[in-house]
Amino acid sequence: MAAWDLSITVEDLGPDAPPVSLSVMSDLHVGGVILKLVENTPIKRDWSDHALWWEQKQRWLLRTSWTLEKHGIHADARLIFMVQHKALKVGLPNGLTVRLGACFSNPVFQTVMGICTLLNIRHPEELSLLQPVEEKKKKKEKSSTEEILDLTVVPLSTASRTTLSNGIPAHFGGSPELEGIYKALSVPQTSPTPEAIAKQYRPASVVDKAHIHGRWLDSSRCLMQQGIQENDKLWLRFKYFAFHDIEPKYDAVRLTQLYEQARWAILLEDIDCTEEEMMLFGALQYHISKVSQSEPETAKSAAAMDDLESALQCLEVKMESEGGSASDMLNNMTAPELHDYLKIFRPKRLTLKGYKQYWFKFQDTSISYFKSKEESNGEPIQQINLKGCEVAPDVNMAAQKFLIRLLIPVPEGMNEVYLRCENEEQYARWMAACRLASKGTSLADSSFQSEIRGIRSFLAMQNTSSSSHGNAAAASDENINTYSLVSPRYQKKYKTKQLTPRILDAYQNVAQLSLVDAVSRFLQIWQALPDFGLSYVVVRFKGSRKDEVLGIAPNRLIRIDLGVGDVVKTWRYNNMKQWNVNWDIRQVAIEFEGNINVAFSCVTADCKIVHEFIGGYIFMSTRSRHKSDQLDEELFHKLTGGHEAL
Amino acid sequence: MLECDHFPFLEVNIWQTLLTWQHGWMDGLKSSSAPDFKVKVTAASPNMPGNTKNKMTALSSSFYALGVKQGILFWGTAKVTHMDDIDAMFSDLLGEMDLLTQSLEQETASAPSSAPSSAPSSAPSSAPSPAPLPPPWAPSDGERGADRSVNSAELNASLNELEDTDLDALMADLVADLNATEEKLTAQMGGLNAPELPPPAPSSSSGGDSPVSSHSPALPAPPPQSSKPSMEEIEAHIKADKIKVALEKLKEAKVKKLVVKVRVSDGSSKTLMVDERQSVGDVLDNLFEKTHCDCNVDWSLSETNPELQLERTFEDHENLVEPLLAWTRDSENQIHFQESPDKYEVFKNPQKFYLWKKSKKALDDVKDKDKEILIKENFCGTSVMVPDLEGVLHLKEDGKKSWKPRLFQLRASGIYYVPKGKTKSSRDLVCFVQFDNVNVYYGKDFRAKHKAPGDFCFVLKHPQIQKDSQYVKYLCCDDARTMSLWVTGIRVAKYGATLYENFKRAQTKVPHASAWAECIRNQSESRVANGHAPEAPSSFSSSSQEHNLPPAPPPPPLDQALPPPPPPLGQALPPPPPPLGQALPPPPPPLGEDLPPPPPPLSGALPPPPPPLGGALPLPPPPPPLGGALPLPPPPPPPPLSGAVAIPPAPAPPPLPPPTSKFGVPKPPPLLPTKSKPKPVPRQRCSNLPVGAEYLPAPPPPLPSGDDSPPNFLPPPPPGPHLGSGPPPPPVAKTLRPAPSFKSTGLPPPPPAGPGVLPPPPPPPPLPAPTAATIPRRATAGPRGSLKKAPPPPKRTTPSLHGGGGGEGGDFMSELMRAMQKKRDHVN
Repeated sequence: MAAWDLSITVEDLGPDAPPVSLSVMSDLHVGGVILKLVENTPIKRDWSDHALWWEQKQRWLLRTSWTLEKHGIHADARLIFMVQHKALKVGLPNGLTVRLGACFSNPVFQTVMGICTLLNIRHPEELSLLQPVEEKKKKKEKSSTEEILDLTVVPLSTASRTTLSNGIPAHFGGSPELEGIYKALSVPQTSPTPEAIAKQYRPASVVDKAHIHGRWLDSSRCLMQQGIQENDKLWLRFKYFAFHDIEPKYDAVRLTQLYEQARWAILLEDIDCTEEEMMLFGALQYHISKVSQSEPETAKSAAAMDDLESALQCLEVKMESEGGSASDMLNNMTAPELHDYLKIFRPKRLTLKGYKQYWFKFQDTSISYFKSKEESNGEPIQQINLKGCEVAPDVNMAAQKFLIRLLIPVPEGMNEVYLRCENEEQYARWMAACRLASKGTSLADSSFQSEIRGIRSFLAMQNTSSSSHGNAAAASDENINTYSLVSPRYQKKYKTKQLTPRILDAYQNVAQLSLVDAVSRFLQIWQALPDFGLSYVVVRFKGSRKDEVLGIAPNRLIRIDLGVGDVVKTWRYNNMKQWNVNWDIRQVAIEFEGNINVAFSCVTADCKIVHEFIGGYIFMSTRSRHKSDQLDEELFHKLTGGHEAL
Repeated sequence: MLECDHFPFLEVNIWQTLLTWQHGWMDGLKSSSAPDFKVKVTAASPNMPGNTKNKMTALSSSFYALGVKQGILFWGTAKVTHMDDIDAMFSDLLGEMDLLTQSLEQETASAPSSAPSSAPSSAPSSAPSPAPLPPPWAPSDGERGADRSVNSAELNASLNELEDTDLDALMADLVADLNATEEKLTAQMGGLNAPELPPPAPSSSSGGDSPVSSHSPALPAPPPQSSKPSMEEIEAHIKADKIKVALEKLKEAKVKKLVVKVRVSDGSSKTLMVDERQSVGDVLDNLFEKTHCDCNVDWSLSETNPELQLERTFEDHENLVEPLLAWTRDSENQIHFQESPDKYEVFKNPQKFYLWKKSKKALDDVKDKDKEILIKENFCGTSVMVPDLEGVLHLKEDGKKSWKPRLFQLRASGIYYVPKGKTKSSRDLVCFVQFDNVNVYYGKDFRAKHKAPGDFCFVLKHPQIQKDSQYVKYLCCDDARTMSLWVTGIRVAKYGATLYENFKRAQTKVPHASAWAECIRNQSESRVANGHAPEAPSSFSSSSQEHNLPPAPPPPPLDQALPPPPPPLGQALPPPPPPLGQALPPPPPPLGEDLPPPPPPLSGALPPPPPPLGGALPLPPPPPPLGGALPLPPPPPPPPLSGAVAIPPAPAPPPLPPPTSKFGVPKPPPLLPTKSKPKPVPRQRCSNLPVGAEYLPAPPPPLPSGDDSPPNFLPPPPPGPHLGSGPPPPPVAKTLRPAPSFKSTGLPPPPPAGPGVLPPPPPPPPLPAPTAATIPRRATAGPRGSLKKAPPPPKRTTPSLHGGGGGEGGDFMSELMRAMQKKRDHVN
């Protein structure tokens, strides 16, 4: 057997170094080639992560025991000897970019697993990488030096599930910088500026959305094979909208990134929602960013106990001082009250009297009012129970108008009552009380104080936003522009003045939520949207002459008329008998129960992507709670790999 | 009309009973310090006799306001009462505490020398303090348990009852409930006062360990000395505990209760008491037991509003009292107990809702597996999915008579419509309604009432709106299927995962319940011949109405307790009598005798009170008996014990007749001493019966042991009365039966009869606990003189227990019922 020359480029020698030429025989196995190569290279280093990449065939020669012949390598082959793990810039759902070491030689599925392990995201099968959308080339990108968090110092091999005492994964515990990065990953970002939202690419139509879904990388092939080079940027996104076993305790990063992805989907109108829903999303975003900024308060757990304790203390103090009657004390313990002079107006009554001042008393869940403070021990003029009523704010800081609009249900319908407060402070207290009462909780509830704080901060928000109309200067960092909470459509539709009260309105229902609850709530509402979880692909059905859209959801496929946007047909996976891809003519054929056969070719995406989506969702549905830790990689490849898996 | 006729009577009776009873109680509580009660006669039924009204007003010290709606007795003001009392109690307590602290200071400052003497007692003092507390709590726990059992007992009892009987039972419930509350309050009072009793406490504790007799002497002395021993920390702790208990009770006392008349789909009706904390599911459980239906998941409670022609099925997790409170006073709304196939159809055939666009045939063919998948997808994920409904519905325009078609869409966040000329895209949708504050109702016959374009209408409105107004949204669908889709879809959107949880819970009831129903059916069949046979045998000649009374007799209770075992019943019945005799040689006979002559016994009974429980039963003055009942318990025991110690207590019997007056006397000073005495009693029991918690089980064993063993249980006697009156409010409230059943269980005979099936015993356990707690206090209520003697009571406990304790409770009830019946007769 004759020896022949094999030329191999060694990356580490520099781009300009000539290839190393080795004299080999065809029966030499790849491992032997590498050994020879290393011996002939002047550099001394750890070569264990290096492997041979066959450029023409776009293949890694990872089977080192195979001979050159078996690999089919001849003298004309140009091989490159390089590391398998290279730096990759990964754009995360929250907009941050992380630079980390990723595997370029294994299938993307495994690469993603590695990245997720590093980032501490469970269930990596739900995520994948996609090519980013080109930023609008305005070429004047002076500030394009976006911040990159560098995680390349963390060796992949050390990534582990173990966490330090402060909840940070062990591999992030090395330095303050790393801890800072972990925090950036696991805590929701503050709201973006309206300009930032406007700058982002926004899909304008279903077709645009379909194009985005054409960018997913093939999970059965490696990064090198898909033309990704070192230091390229890819997006890491949740691809399959079937989120398994979310556990806030372990899923800090996962939940946060999921929330960010959802938030951006809504802000960029990637998923449609109604105005009411948008306001609620806005309120939740506001709340989440507020809560996530404030230091985590851990002591809130025993609120009820605290109440009792303090009540007891108060009782004892009183006993010692012998002051006050027992009934007074009882009242103090069981039902704190508000009382003050307020003005009341009942728009329904045909009177011209306008606002009239009375002495108001707020007790338990009802308001009673008296002619004056002196008469407050007698029978009230009226007592109004606020349980179940609707409370709406009507506030204008500039005009110093602090109105609480109450819509109180009575057997005959709803009674409208307006309460007018004198100042911010008074308003905050009474408004908070009204809101709690409408939900059936009394002032004694521990949430009263936080409710007041929430109202105040929102008032402050309105204050700055309305004043910034006059002078755009005074916008402190603490106050959030409500424009940053809604999509550009609503930024255009409403002035801040109109938007703020609406968000405030929605906010009252969520103001009590903890960070995790608020995030979960956000995700729930997102998941309840009718279009949730749909990934679109423009396809052409067999026998049809026009393009249509195939929507791929976690449990079904839908056929959408491109022109009207109506759903024409729905097929559920559990009625599916089989699906096949004809790789030659690039056609997907699916058979459903009842002899229903569907076939289509894909226009905006490779049929491998569609195949992977369908297979992927079926794989997701096979996961069970019990073996949630054990990822059945083989099954995934079987379901999604296509002909390459065979 | 039936109800109309009935209620006035009921009302009158209740009134009288309650008022009188209240009197007694108030006095007993010495709460006269806070007598600002108001009498509100909120409802004047047309049939109400004028004199009753007068009577009612005359009894101005009562604070109960009874509102009678058609089918609903409004019980709301009860809380007011309690509040007032508690206020008073609190001020008492505080005053006492002040005294205490003062005395403490003095002592600590002035007399270090006293320390040694106090030292011994101090140790016990810590122990006693916990002891008093547990009682108040224990009862409440026990009550819950008792509840269950009571219900099961009820089951049988109500089997053959007509509505009248039902009412009677209800009355009994009511009274019992009141008693229970009272008991609780007294218990609480005891707990509250306990702090003042630091001295007594120690002594009592010691008493617990040592024979009662030794204990007794200590009692009188305690008050002064006790203060010394206390260590401040312990004191503080005790205080804190007491206050916690008190706060808890305060909450308890605020609970609203309603008496509801429920129309059953077979045309009959049931009346039951519902308290604020009960969910519709709980009430359904009750009704299942009362009606012996098949308990399938379709059974539901629904409310109808004739004025708006609406009907809505309550969801199982909903609170029942709340919507009822929204009814207007003159409301003709009704509650129905019926099968509503729509209620859980979405879980039985999810495809009908989630795949509604498919053809009907395709939907019928859906496999069970696919249904499961649908449910899993839509209800078991992180977010509940709402069926994607969309379609044209007719909307009645606000304030107009015309209906306009609109394209509506259901989303999780509400119902939207597509404005004219706009697309269906989400961003263009206009919100029609969100679900936070509205409920969905079926409309009936809107074609006539509102000129609706079709017959299938539903309505969205705030639950509190009871009359037509612009805030009521009327919608009309083309067909029944569409209507069901929308109404169900709205419910899914509004209630989310809760709906599924309700369904799962409802399902769990089915198998068990059906088995239960099976048993009942068998049983009822076996009984068919003689209807009330089981209950009647005891020599009950009275009409169905009297059935309530039967519970008092031991035999009937047995049946009730053993509903499941039909055969056992027969056996059980016969045995009960004999066992009684054996176990409680003295008591059994009296019981039987008392029962037969219910009416007369009252008067007659009084004289012989001490020996037979019957004495307690005599309740001629129903209301007073409560108060009187307390004292009574002691009396019965005395006889058995043998004059020695017990006899002194004997005085108790006399108290019975004039219970109210007596209360007045004891009120002021007695409290402390009395309490101390009572405490010992419970303790003893505990010591006697190793298993505190398992009191109930204990009863059966006594049987075998024979007459002697019973003595240990004696403590129960006092409980017996209490049972009826209050510590275990829940049980009592449920029915008279509970008391009887308890007795029966307590009596050796019953348990043996249907041991296996008789899990019912559970009810009994609660009883003991409460009794223990309450007894002491009650005792205090009694005459002072007797109190001192009280120490002996513990001993007598054993003998009297069987006859006295159990019997009394039941008898009292029966007496009450009889009295009521009498009145009714008079009225008639």
